[in-house]
Amino acid sequence: MKRCLVPVVLAILLLFLPAVAAAAEEAYTFDAAEIEKKPYHFGGYVEFKPLLFGLDRDSAFYKLRYYDDPQGKTLAEMNGRVQLEGSYERDIYRLFVKTNTDLKYSDPAGSSERSVFYEAYASLKPSPSLKIDAGKKTMKWGKGYAWNPAAFIDRPKDPDDPELALEGFIVATLDYIKSFDGPLKTFSFTPAILPVTDHINDAFGNNNKLNFAGRFYFLLYDTDIDLMFMTGGSRPDRYGMDFSRNITTNFEIHGEYAYFRNVRKTVLDAGGSARQVEADAQSYLVGIRHLSTSDLTTIVEYYHNGAGFSEEEQRNFFATVDRAYSLYQSTGNAAALANVRGLADAYGRAGTGKDYLYARLSQKEPFDILYFIPAVTWMVNLEDRSFSLTPELLYTGFTNWELRFRTAFIVGGRNTEFGEKQNDYRVEFRVGYYF
Amino acid sequence: MFKALMVFLSLLVAAPLYALDGTALLKQVDRNLSPDSYESYRKLINVEPDGRKKEFTLFTVKKGVDKVASLFIAPASEKGRSTLRLGDNMWLYIPNVGKPVRITSLQSVVGGVFNNADILQLDYAAEYDVEKVEEKGNEYLLQLKAKTKTVAYDRLKIWADKKNVLPTKIECLTEANMLIKTLYFKDVKSFGGGITRPAVIETDSPLYKGYKSVMIFAGLKKRDYKDEVFTLTFMSNIESLR
Repeated sequence: MKRCLVPVVLAILLLFLPAVAAAAEEAYTFDAAEIEKKPYHFGGYVEFKPLLFGLDRDSAFYKLRYYDDPQGKTLAEMNGRVQLEGSYERDIYRLFVKTNTDLKYSDPAGSSERSVFYEAYASLKPSPSLKIDAGKKTMKWGKGYAWNPAAFIDRPKDPDDPELALEGFIVATLDYIKSFDGPLKTFSFTPAILPVTDHINDAFGNNNKLNFAGRFYFLLYDTDIDLMFMTGGSRPDRYGMDFSRNITTNFEIHGEYAYFRNVRKTVLDAGGSARQVEADAQSYLVGIRHLSTSDLTTIVEYYHNGAGFSEEEQRNFFATVDRAYSLYQSTGNAAALANVRGLADAYGRAGTGKDYLYARLSQKEPFDILYFIPAVTWMVNLEDRSFSLTPELLYTGFTNWELRFRTAFIVGGRNTEFGEKQNDYRVEFRVGYYF
Repeated sequence: MFKALMVFLSLLVAAPLYALDGTALLKQVDRNLSPDSYESYRKLINVEPDGRKKEFTLFTVKKGVDKVASLFIAPASEKGRSTLRLGDNMWLYIPNVGKPVRITSLQSVVGGVFNNADILQLDYAAEYDVEKVEEKGNEYLLQLKAKTKTVAYDRLKIWADKKNVLPTKIECLTEANMLIKTLYFKDVKSFGGGITRPAVIETDSPLYKGYKSVMIFAGLKKRDYKDEVFTLTFMSNIESLR
């Protein structure tokens, strides 16, 4: 009899355990140790991300990459990421370091690893109005969510994952802030010096140049306004502005404009002959962010990329790839493919076309499921009507854990931007842990 | 007849002296809850119906009637995030994103029942007018109406303890008097420096049945800051104020 009672008692205990826990939690604690500030800080982020690509074996970028190594219909890839960060602060001085290591494994390509300092800089902050930074850091200028044409001294962000941390450049910057009463509430000025040599910021642009950039910020009539510029020769001179404002409590509008002088790009004619063209270009973006009463956040942005490739220029590139691939198949000669591969980076990056529409809908905590956010993102090239559609599910309910499942459908006809991408679809699961 | 007239006139003169000045009372509630400019630490606990909890720790600084900023110091996934409110303008800074983005008062940067307006709360008197004030036993009942449409809740009902002039309960309502959430103020204690206020605020909402959020205060003390602390450019540096 007693033996029979044990499982019953256990079952009852398990049944009422949540209630017992709930009763126990009433004694809230807040220890002084939890808020004690130490001069140093160490933390980080570890991520595991398996991916499955559905390959489009007729696409231009598949042919460029796998012309001599044909793949099956799908390709699996394992990705890992480790980010470590630390800081030390004393009086008005602070040191900050953030590293990033990307690990990748796929069959048959094998494994690869890349480790870099994302940021590593020293700060001097003699007063709340003045701060000086020197070292490698990201600046993140601009108000756009998916694109930032006015982010003059940052690496381009990935519109597929705009919130990812980016690697910075080595700069010396200063923040000067002044607050006022009246319509102009805040003014700040951020000048920056960015040297480019063989060993410093060599990915930024032309070598042996000292570049100057600056941003003026105003909070004027409840509107954020930035004016920015960059000159120095490593990249064409550029000037820009952005703004952001709440029209109503739950409705924000933003915009960004950039004017580039003498931008160069390599284009192909219908016969595949390459030539460099140089012209001034204007890029701009307008967008909205809206939160509904049911917690649906909508972000919509229109982006015109004045320095991008037109539909015809992209079509000529894809046709050249096609001809080079046919030549390789018939003769085994890969020289033409090797030539056009040199342009693959410029034509294959996200957002290389002229006009885009971006829309993202995310619903916070539907069905009363706390920390659960389903979302869908649609990005369309307005010239050729090709697009990517990315539904995702995000859950952050376990402290310091982040789980994200997403699928991207990449849709478009032949000779269109998304239609010629290497993949038809992508499935990914990301598990991230912060410590 | 003359006596009766005198009594009537006396009452007429005396009545305003005893009428409750709702605005002054509301300002006193604000000052008793916190000094004009201060720093504090808060722990937010979201409690799910099954008892599961998620905690966030924030460092908050406030100056005057319309400037408040908060920095998340725990958990690790949120550490370094900061929020800023300047009047009706609110921004969120996420270290990875690297730049402040505008947010709204009805959003919640922590999930759960507390929204951004609760976390970045200004003085009640700065956002609300007193429509009516009554005495209910040992408590005052203040009925407030939002000064503008940009405020998170159109109406508030504040029950305040007469002795300490501190809130015991606040109901947050829509324009049509629909209840959005209720805040319960508990555990009145001294924080030093003459500050005595509830150390715990619990909230529940008919919109989140079974869920509860709790805010615990610590380290509340008067402190003055330069206006430049409450700017977008400074948002990534709030840690240096601790």
